[in-house]
Amino acid sequence: MEPDVSIETSCMIRIAVLPIGDVPPPLLRDYHSMLLRHHAIPLSTISSFYTEHQKSPFAHQPWDSGSLRFKFVLGGAPPSPWEDFQSNRKILAVIGICHCPSSPDLDFVIDQFNAACKGYTSALVERCFAFCPGDSQLEDGKKRENLVLFPPSDRATQEFHLQTMMQDIAASLLMEFEKWVLQAESAGTILKTPLDSQATLSSEEVIKAKKRRLARAQKTIGDYCLLAGSPVDANAHYSTALELARLTADYFWYAGALEGSVCAILVDRMGQKDSVVEDEVRYRYNSVIVHYRKSFIQDNAQRVSPLTFELEATLKLARFLCRRDLAKEVVELLTSAADGAKSLIDASDRLILYVEIARLFGTLGYQRKAAFFSRQVAQLYLQQENRLAAISAMQVLAMTTKAYRVQSRASISRHPLSNETESGHADGGKMHHQSVVSLFESQWSTLQMVVLREILLSAVRAGDPLAAWSAAARLLRSYYPLITPAGQNGLASALSNSAERLPSGTRCADPALPFIRLYSFPLHPSQMDIVKRNPAREDWWAGSAPSGPFIYTPFSKGEPNDNSKQDLIWIVGEPVQVLVELANPCGFDLKVDSIYLSVQSGNFDSFPLSVDLPPNSSQVIMLSGIPTSVGPVVIPGCTVHCFGVITEHLFRDVDNLLLGAAQGLVLSDPFRCCGSPRLRNVSVPNISVVPPLPLLVSHVVGGDGAVVLYEGEIRDVWINLANAGTVPVEQAHISLSGRNQDSVISIAYETLKSALPLKPGAEVTLPVTLKAWRLGLGESDTAAGKSASGSTGRNVKDGSSPSLLIHYAGPLGDAGDLETNKSSVPPGRRLVVPLQICVLQGLSFVKARLLSMEIPAHVGESLSNLANVDGNPLDETVGYGNKIERLVKIDPFRGSWGLRFLELELSNPTDVVFEISVSVQLEKSSNGDDLSVDYAAEYGYPKTRIDRDYFARVLIPLEHFKLPFLDDSIFSKDWQSDGYTGGRNPIFSERNTKAELNASIKNLISRIKVRWQSGRNSSGELNIKDAIQAALQSSVMDVLLPDPLTFGFRLARNGSENASKLDLPKELNTSIQPSASKNFVIAHDMTPMEVLVRNNTKETIKMNLSVTCRDVAGENCVEGTKATVLWAGVLSGITMEVPPLQESKHCFSLYFLVPGEYTLVAAAVIDDANDVLRARAKSKSPDEPIFCRGPPFHVHVDGTA
Amino acid sequence: MATTACFIIVSRNDIPIYEAEVGSAAKREDAAQLHQFILHAALDIVQDLAWTTSAMFLKAIDRFNDLVVSVYVTAGHTRFMLLHDSRNDDGIKSFFQEVHELYIKILLNPLYLPGSRITSSHFDTKVRALARKYL
Repeated sequence: MEPDVSIETSCMIRIAVLPIGDVPPPLLRDYHSMLLRHHAIPLSTISSFYTEHQKSPFAHQPWDSGSLRFKFVLGGAPPSPWEDFQSNRKILAVIGICHCPSSPDLDFVIDQFNAACKGYTSALVERCFAFCPGDSQLEDGKKRENLVLFPPSDRATQEFHLQTMMQDIAASLLMEFEKWVLQAESAGTILKTPLDSQATLSSEEVIKAKKRRLARAQKTIGDYCLLAGSPVDANAHYSTALELARLTADYFWYAGALEGSVCAILVDRMGQKDSVVEDEVRYRYNSVIVHYRKSFIQDNAQRVSPLTFELEATLKLARFLCRRDLAKEVVELLTSAADGAKSLIDASDRLILYVEIARLFGTLGYQRKAAFFSRQVAQLYLQQENRLAAISAMQVLAMTTKAYRVQSRASISRHPLSNETESGHADGGKMHHQSVVSLFESQWSTLQMVVLREILLSAVRAGDPLAAWSAAARLLRSYYPLITPAGQNGLASALSNSAERLPSGTRCADPALPFIRLYSFPLHPSQMDIVKRNPAREDWWAGSAPSGPFIYTPFSKGEPNDNSKQDLIWIVGEPVQVLVELANPCGFDLKVDSIYLSVQSGNFDSFPLSVDLPPNSSQVIMLSGIPTSVGPVVIPGCTVHCFGVITEHLFRDVDNLLLGAAQGLVLSDPFRCCGSPRLRNVSVPNISVVPPLPLLVSHVVGGDGAVVLYEGEIRDVWINLANAGTVPVEQAHISLSGRNQDSVISIAYETLKSALPLKPGAEVTLPVTLKAWRLGLGESDTAAGKSASGSTGRNVKDGSSPSLLIHYAGPLGDAGDLETNKSSVPPGRRLVVPLQICVLQGLSFVKARLLSMEIPAHVGESLSNLANVDGNPLDETVGYGNKIERLVKIDPFRGSWGLRFLELELSNPTDVVFEISVSVQLEKSSNGDDLSVDYAAEYGYPKTRIDRDYFARVLIPLEHFKLPFLDDSIFSKDWQSDGYTGGRNPIFSERNTKAELNASIKNLISRIKVRWQSGRNSSGELNIKDAIQAALQSSVMDVLLPDPLTFGFRLARNGSENASKLDLPKELNTSIQPSASKNFVIAHDMTPMEVLVRNNTKETIKMNLSVTCRDVAGENCVEGTKATVLWAGVLSGITMEVPPLQESKHCFSLYFLVPGEYTLVAAAVIDDANDVLRARAKSKSPDEPIFCRGPPFHVHVDGTA
Repeated sequence: MATTACFIIVSRNDIPIYEAEVGSAAKREDAAQLHQFILHAALDIVQDLAWTTSAMFLKAIDRFNDLVVSVYVTAGHTRFMLLHDSRNDDGIKSFFQEVHELYIKILLNPLYLPGSRITSSHFDTKVRALARKYL
């Protein structure tokens, strides 16, 4: 059988093209391709070379439209035994091709050519074309027969030259054909085929053969007419031949003549196909096939069979009909042709048959059928077990890969269309189910594995390591679940063996293992966050975050940063990381020599990594790299160096695979079978690279660990900021975020501001003062529990610590640039410095109480300074050197020594010791005439030590500060707060007074500071303001308000003195007091005394005053049976009326019988008390008598009993 | 019973969703592969032929050597393909019709995604029983 047969083959003149001498293969191919252009020489062009020697037998030669067709057989072909039957099988001409530079001796070339031509006895014309002759060869004038030198020139000239030569050959051939035909007509030629019996002919057969000879001669003449391009002549001869052959029952030749006649019809019609011609051809060829079949002779079937001609005829018809709309007919023909393959004796015939069937199916568009027969061809090749056959097998199999969907990616990329559709799939985020399915169309895994295995086998046999590697990689990657571990190991070793024979650094389009998918793109750590910069605003970072409560605002629509979620900004020169997950689902150890991100945009340096993956395992690794220049970065996948070959692994492929696995369309999910959890689809964000930005790096001086603070502790921390970037920091701003922001007392903004611009490499240290916040209720419980067990890490993690947000930015860029393009402003950055504060429970406050103490005054001549210190309470404290004594002072309104303490009860639940120090800031004098002593200095009280798990009480002495008089305006508040209704309308501005009162309380509280210290460097302040306020609020009246009446006693030795004393209290106070400090009362002596009553209200008070005297035991010693004191004057029921803010006195005398200590107490019942007084006395009912009692006064009585 | 028979169901996306070697001949791996190759190639012919007739059973549409491919196309364009070496058109037709009923039952399963592989062992058992009965 012959390859590539068609009906028109019968009219083609076969020319052997032989390389003469040494011709490099590429050049030979080049010369051959030049020849191929001249496969048809129109008759009209050869007339100049044609000379009619005698009358042409081709009477109907179409000189104007016909042509001679050539079929060039490169390398020639051995003579066929069927030459006589089909003249087109003869090699009718030989063209030698010689490349002169490699064969200098032209004589030798001619000899070689002549020797080569000896093999082609049927050749009628022989020419040797010598290309590129040297000068010497050109000058060699010797005329050589059949040698044509093509002088070196440009290609066009050379082609023209060649065309001329071909026309010459065509003309020569035509003349030879004429000669042959004339000869054949006149003399009888013997035409035999292998089909004819080789045995000695019997007489009967000789007669039969003689009869047949005429038909055969006519058929052969018809063949020559056809070759000469004269179909009409050919047809005439064929008709005769058909008649004669039918008569002689020479079916074989009958079929041959019929074939020739069909060809003549087609050539005559010049390729025009209409349905009439088609029907005619179909009819005739069916007849041809039938007649070939008829000529089958059983007795020589073993040796020779006309089957090949039958099959060729079938193929010729199929090729002629090969159109989509006749597919069914063609398929029938091809199927029957394929059936004939079994009967073919020669394996190469079968090969050719399958090749032709595959080609025809391919032409028909039946790719799977074509692939099937191609694989049959490949199997026939593989049976031959030699390298060339293996190469052929490999190439044929490579053609089938498309139909079986196992093609190498290298071949896919050659087809832009398929590539396009693939990327189209990948772009759509949501794939429709159907399109997902279409990705996995025709997953005939069994077939695919067989084909890949055969490719692997043939590639190994053909010695093509790259193809073998690629096939093994595809096999392993796609079908690992169907391959046994032993098979997987075999493939792994096949990969390694192939790689050994490849040069290092070989790339292959088909990835092997591992499977790589994108795990995540880590966003910038908070230390290097990038913030869009709004140059129009002072706080340029503010606009970057979406403002307002709405996720979507119509105003932001259309802004280019709408899809900011998908955007990722990388910075030139700063390393970035991408997490990818690798999976090795196979049963062998996978050693990835290097893996790095493959970036197409070329502005990224990626760092390779080496990974070892154990069998059936997956691993997340971090791939890093550095962007090198500004622009977008596209990361389609990773470049992997594994099994000795560099491959590109695209994320998209694995994504599609996983999608298919999710739909149950793919065999297995490689990550899932490695035990990796299912992961959502990570899409590659749009990554853009921006120019270098400054980069601040922070660390806390003294270690980045958490600062452990007790509640209320105050401590400074120093934060060191260094510019690790290559651009100076020109703007910086610090703000706070997170919880407990008020725990940051101060930040040294100025230090940062003054350090700007911060050059690359420069550092600045910021002091930050922290005050530990109070733990909440639940917090303190757990914190206490934790501190007991010694763990301190809890508070750091729960995010209760505040963070410093440092927004900083580099230079703005050119001003002109800024105006033209707003987006060109380089972004700023944000550094988040979490202040890691671990607050431990410190001293805890239990309660606060106000304690008051009264020390009775001694009755003396000079003590009655009731009104002296009015409004000037500090007066008395001046002279005291002792600090404690200073606090014990006369209550100017009560007349007794009074002492008030704020008692704080504290507990120490911690395991350290605390020391408490209380300080009260002294009130600065508000009076201008007061002494200019600076009282701002604090009192230093001895420190109180609280051991662990102990309670302690701290006393804070309070100074007096009372209002000068009792006024109803004060009570207006009290009434309201106590729920009184219907009280008098306040006269004074109620609010002012209240505010005054509150202010005074606040003033008091703010002056009290309780500081604590623990260990060497922990110190802080107890926040007890609220507690004090609560404690004071209840007793504020007692502390602040004077009693309505003030009582005082004194010895009245000299009435005139007393009067003057009252008039000039101050003078006396200073002059007499020191001398009068020695007051004594003697027993058995009449002691004149007087009681002073001061009215602290603004209204006259009428009262009923009484004075009692008690001894040490508290017995009333004035009345009763055992009275030890005698008296003169009135002691009880004294009716008295005191004008507002005035005092009255009442004189009486006492006679002490027994020396000792006595106490004098004055008391009064106020008549007709008004509301103010009632309120002050907290009386419940208006009928209740208002009773005022003065403080006790001590009297020391000297003398002998 | 036929000596060689290979039954395969191909989804409308040309993916084989069920495969069974139902012949009585000894199982040979390369033969099974060849069967699949033949059936795969026959899809080309089915795709044209299916639209030329309203019948579901397309009879023998292709052959290779002495193996014949018979095809039955459902309304959803799922193709039942049988490769066989016997000439028993009636039996094959009955076989296809009964398998079609089984296939419809599979389709009615709400958990079955049309176009995915049929993994039901019950289906497999039934199909093999039908093959013994009709082929």
